[in-house]
Amino acid sequence: MGQIMDEVIEDETAFVLRLYSGERKNLVPILQDVCDRLGYLPRAAMERIAEHLAINRGEVYSAATFYNQFRLSPPGRHTVKVCMGTACHIKGGQLILEAWERELDVDVGGVTRDGQFGLERVACVGCCAMAPIVVCDDVVHGRTRPTTVKGIITNLNEREHDIRGDSGQGD
Amino acid sequence: MIFEEIRDRAIREWEGLRNSGRPLILIGTATCGRAAGAMEVLERIERELGERGIDADVVQVGCMGHCYAEPLIAIAKPGYPPILYGYVTQGTASQLIENFILGDDPCLEFALGALEENELIPTIFDMPRFRYERRILLERCGFIDPQNIDHYIANGGYSALVKALEMTSDEVIEGVRRSGLRGRGGAGFPTGEKFGICREAEGEPKYLICNGDEGDPGAFMDRAILESDPQSVIEGMTIAAYAVGALHGYIYVRAEYPLAVERVRFALRQAEGLGLLGQDILGSGFSFGIELVRGSGAFVCGEETALIASIEGGRGVPHPRPPFPATSGLWGKPTLINNVKTLSIIPHIISKGADWYSSIGTEKSKGTAVFALAGKVINTGLAEVPMGTTLRDIIYGVGGGIPGGKRFKAVQIGGPSGGFLPESMPDIPVDFDSLTEAGVMMGSGGMVILDEDNCMVEAARYLLDFTQRESCGKCTMCRLGTKQMLNILEDITNGEGRLEDLGLLMELAQDVRDGSLCGLGRTAPNPVLTSLSYFRDEYEAHIIEKRCPALVCEKLISYYILPERCERSCDACVGSCSVEAIYAGKGGVKVIDQEKCVKCGICLDSCPPQYSAIVKLSPLSLVPPEEKKPEKSEEGDG
Amino acid sequence: MSKVTLTIDGIQIEAQKGEKVLWAALEGGIYIPSLCAVRGLEPPFAACRLCFVEIEGRGIVTSCTETVADGMVVYTNTPRVKRLRRTAFELLLSHHDTDCSSCPGHGNCELQRIASRLGLKLRQNRFRPVPISYPIDSSHPLITYDPNRCILCGKCVWVCNERGSGVLNFAFRGIDTVVTTFFGLPLADSGCNSCLECAAVCPVGAIALKRDVRPPRS
Repeated sequence: MGQIMDEVIEDETAFVLRLYSGERKNLVPILQDVCDRLGYLPRAAMERIAEHLAINRGEVYSAATFYNQFRLSPPGRHTVKVCMGTACHIKGGQLILEAWERELDVDVGGVTRDGQFGLERVACVGCCAMAPIVVCDDVVHGRTRPTTVKGIITNLNEREHDIRGDSGQGD
Repeated sequence: MIFEEIRDRAIREWEGLRNSGRPLILIGTATCGRAAGAMEVLERIERELGERGIDADVVQVGCMGHCYAEPLIAIAKPGYPPILYGYVTQGTASQLIENFILGDDPCLEFALGALEENELIPTIFDMPRFRYERRILLERCGFIDPQNIDHYIANGGYSALVKALEMTSDEVIEGVRRSGLRGRGGAGFPTGEKFGICREAEGEPKYLICNGDEGDPGAFMDRAILESDPQSVIEGMTIAAYAVGALHGYIYVRAEYPLAVERVRFALRQAEGLGLLGQDILGSGFSFGIELVRGSGAFVCGEETALIASIEGGRGVPHPRPPFPATSGLWGKPTLINNVKTLSIIPHIISKGADWYSSIGTEKSKGTAVFALAGKVINTGLAEVPMGTTLRDIIYGVGGGIPGGKRFKAVQIGGPSGGFLPESMPDIPVDFDSLTEAGVMMGSGGMVILDEDNCMVEAARYLLDFTQRESCGKCTMCRLGTKQMLNILEDITNGEGRLEDLGLLMELAQDVRDGSLCGLGRTAPNPVLTSLSYFRDEYEAHIIEKRCPALVCEKLISYYILPERCERSCDACVGSCSVEAIYAGKGGVKVIDQEKCVKCGICLDSCPPQYSAIVKLSPLSLVPPEEKKPEKSEEGDG
Repeated sequence: MSKVTLTIDGIQIEAQKGEKVLWAALEGGIYIPSLCAVRGLEPPFAACRLCFVEIEGRGIVTSCTETVADGMVVYTNTPRVKRLRRTAFELLLSHHDTDCSSCPGHGNCELQRIASRLGLKLRQNRFRPVPISYPIDSSHPLITYDPNRCILCGKCVWVCNERGSGVLNFAFRGIDTVVTTFFGLPLADSGCNSCLECAAVCPVGAIALKRDVRPPRS
């Protein structure tokens, strides 16, 4: 996705803020919506949110840095989340994560240099029966292996929006 | 509209679907099903039905709990009993359409069983697991369309609310109290008593929160219920709100469950549309609204005071208790906060009575418990058993035992707040008090089964790593205590531990348990305490022998190719290695360059089973010294 | 306001009803260590985990959160209390720049005071030091902020939001928790109104007045 133009940040943030009153309890939902639309929480957006809720911008930053779901920097074009829940872990989740790091040549939490892939860990997506799990752009892949990493990447690259499962249940 | 009209219409719709004369295909599209490819199967079914002009109904349902066999579809064709099929691929879906929907062959080779008694094939309820299971909360899951409130109503839904609204709130509370229900979030506080405290508490307005922040890794019961039967949670919340006098409710669903969020949001709109939620519910004069709140990814928000802080609009940081939320919670007002399962059982208790409920379970733990079985167990998925069922019956009876003939080693129960129960305790009854006595915790009901290939020290390290990452950072004991415990565990799994570390680890674990501010910190040491008491020998092997008995800890194991087993002309391992650490040595025998090896284990998978030449060795000293790899002229290019 | 009488370490102490045990003890001349407690703040922050006491019938609790009751019997020096507060104290030191000689708080530091009153050591060796290396913020004309000396008691955050311009807040979480400004801006650019209350409440040398700056009138 890369860096976003200032006008886009301004417009998208304004769009979200129109949906919410200035009550303090709206802080987290606003952050969620802005993050959903922009992919991350730019500084300018947080300043606008603070104005809208009439709170100090530091409080916005404080909440934004507390939760796993909020990013402060632009994400990759595709987001790969490797599940690190207990079931995934005991079925080799760490090896899966390391395989992704090697394949994408990026550390977990980072974005590849070409901006194509962001690699993240996720606490548990509650899909433990199908462990180990990898979630790519919101498509859940079950029973993954280190060897399936390449196939998922090829799929993501080939078909940007129409991604198939790799669980051996496909064609 | 009066409820009888709503119900009659719902029943007509439901019966219409079942007795339409057309084939009915149910497909499980909860998250587990999707991970196994259910959406692709659904796409294929709809495409083929369309292309062939077949008149059949396709309904997306939730999770039946047989996650091991996902994707699951059930076909009800006139003239046949409804049949459940497992492990359905796009190919089998096509075959079922071709041979069963169009033909007369029900393809029993793909069937798990029928869903009703019949003379053709056994039902799934004849499976051995159903000798142990008793499904109350999960009864409708996977059998109704979670996005269709009529399915819920036609199957008994909302009649408990109607009944409750005719009772006084005291009668409702008394019923819950007499049922013996204890909170399913983990601590097991008597639910009726909590209702009573909140009811009596001074302060208006009162709030109700449904805690759907199922953060325990390895637990997915709440997700399954929210995705499969969301109306049961809404009905339970409404009854509870009526009992305590709350006018406004929140249902807090964790961010990692996008499908649950979507389905709950939809279900709320449907309930409001029928007047089962909102102003003057069913003309009773009682009003109650529910707002959906999405979590943002913080395990600590499962802790009730942190969850409240998060809803109020800031960091999800816990406060000291007392005051408990029941007297001073959201915005300082009395707030009833209960787990998803606790609330969704309420309609059953109201409908069938407190005596019925209290007849299930043990003396002090009433009712059923829903467990999520995952890890090294054959039947991964959901199980609902009466409280007091033994661990053995759950793992072997319901779970079908350990796959691959491996030895059962331990069960991780209750997530990072729980602990490990060893194989030596198979007959422990699983209920609140027996588990607490054994040093673990019921938690919300996640059970991850570990076999001989899992290292207990590494498993404890994993859980501490989890809590350490998820600590909110407010209090010293948890913020730094979990970090220091993790340091010690990392030393041990890296082969750098010292025996005296075990004493320090134990001391620290006890102090973090006794001295932390909130439940996260107070229970974080449980995995360490239980693994130390039941598996101390494994800790000692890591420390004294630098050996990982389960061959897991990367720093203590080597991958090694047994020369006498290596086929020599086969190159499978060489090709599989992502870091080019395997080369052909003398006579073509493959050798692993230990310095290059990243221990990913891919070569072990790739070595054809008839050779099985690759093994893991621990300690490292077991690997014989290798001839040096022949120096080639290629310069390292990075 | 009515009074209640409780016994702390064998001494009868009278306290206001609703008061917390910590303040009742301190007023009665009985020392209980604490870093984060602010009298009257509800709910109490209860983060430093140093003010443990043992109460008959209740067990181990933090005295800053426990309300006094008539007939309550409190002990401040049982073996369990000593053990817990030593652990909490040493944990704090394991994530703290302990080079006291270069600290602006040297000589006026609550950690030093607690160590000498309770006979604890400022050089602990039970726990491995957790690396901490934030840049020191000297941008402000009147104060310096050294996050490496901060023990996250939260007093500055509270006072800045209560009486100052609200620029100080907690950010991040867990071991990465830090008191900071919006996006970590230098204090000079943060919108700080220089009330200097933060330096006044900081129990250690994390936020300190620059040399020759006179403390605010309190």
